[in-house]
Amino acid sequence: MTVGSQVKGCFSSVKSVEATLLSLENKTQNPEARECFHEVQSIISDIKTDLEKQVIYLSQQEPQYKN
Amino acid sequence: MPGWVEILIRSLSLLIALFFITKMLGKKQMSQLDIFQYITGIVIGSIVATHVTDLTTQFEYSLIALSVWFLVPLGLEYIALKSKRVRDFTQGKGTVFIQNGKIMEENLKKERYTTDDLLEELRNNNIYQAADVEFAVLEPTGKVNVLPKKENQPLTVKDIGLKPAPEKEPQTVVMDGNPLLEPLSNASLNINWLETELDKMDISIENVFLGQVDSDGQLTLDLYDDKIAVPGPSEKPLLLATMKKSQADLELFALASENQETKNMYEKNSQKMQEAIDKVSPYL
Repeated sequence: MTVGSQVKGCFSSVKSVEATLLSLENKTQNPEARECFHEVQSIISDIKTDLEKQVIYLSQQEPQYKN
Repeated sequence: MPGWVEILIRSLSLLIALFFITKMLGKKQMSQLDIFQYITGIVIGSIVATHVTDLTTQFEYSLIALSVWFLVPLGLEYIALKSKRVRDFTQGKGTVFIQNGKIMEENLKKERYTTDDLLEELRNNNIYQAADVEFAVLEPTGKVNVLPKKENQPLTVKDIGLKPAPEKEPQTVVMDGNPLLEPLSNASLNINWLETELDKMDISIENVFLGQVDSDGQLTLDLYDDKIAVPGPSEKPLLLATMKKSQADLELFALASENQETKNMYEKNSQKMQEAIDKVSPYL
């Protein structure tokens, strides 16, 4: 596995975490839990933005592995 | 009228009357008998018993007596609601048996409790050494309640300084294979959601004996067919595992990366992920 695909894998895990948090936030009846899920979601979203930049950067660096 | 017919009629009508009287006197009568309710219970029972079996008595008299013994306790209970003094008189006060860890011998004597009785009551509360008790009181209902000393109290979440996630009551959404619509809407879910969840687990609703949803919308099931293994809710554990994995990955990237700027970016994000895990894990 190249660095690019590893980072891409991590990026998609982070995306899935964000989506699960969103679905939990919508399902929970508990205002405190909802707030917590929302806060954590925004942290995850920051990480996602950073990783996305890195994924783009790496795909430019390793164009032969771009798919 | 032959005697047996009269007994039948008396029994049935008094049975109905007794049922409603007990119901109206309330649940309190069933759970905790104070002095007054104790007397009332006995007298109402014997009034009914006498008038059902003794045909020489006048049936109407039984109704008069019953209504007195129904109305007076009921009225007194309403007065007791308003007045503390009446309450203390009719329902009695508790007697303190142990205070500040010291046994009150005078109070024991007043209630005619022997040392053995006290020890027995403490054992009922799972305490075998009188020195472990901070406070014990004999309630008017005859039950002894005990407050153990702080070091002998069971450990609570508060004691270890953790902040647990609040939990609301779960809703029962499937009973005996039938979906229950009202609890579903209480959990702000609908029947389509239930069907989707069951489809995901490949289970038909007829096979579900009991299904409950917790306050975070996680469904747990018990099936009629106990041979089928039911998958537990996996969403939350999976989420936590994925977050931990991503955190580890980010750390790994930070170690592997040679460019200082990228390294810093990975490190910062790995810390952020750790923070997110710490924040969310009490709720998962």
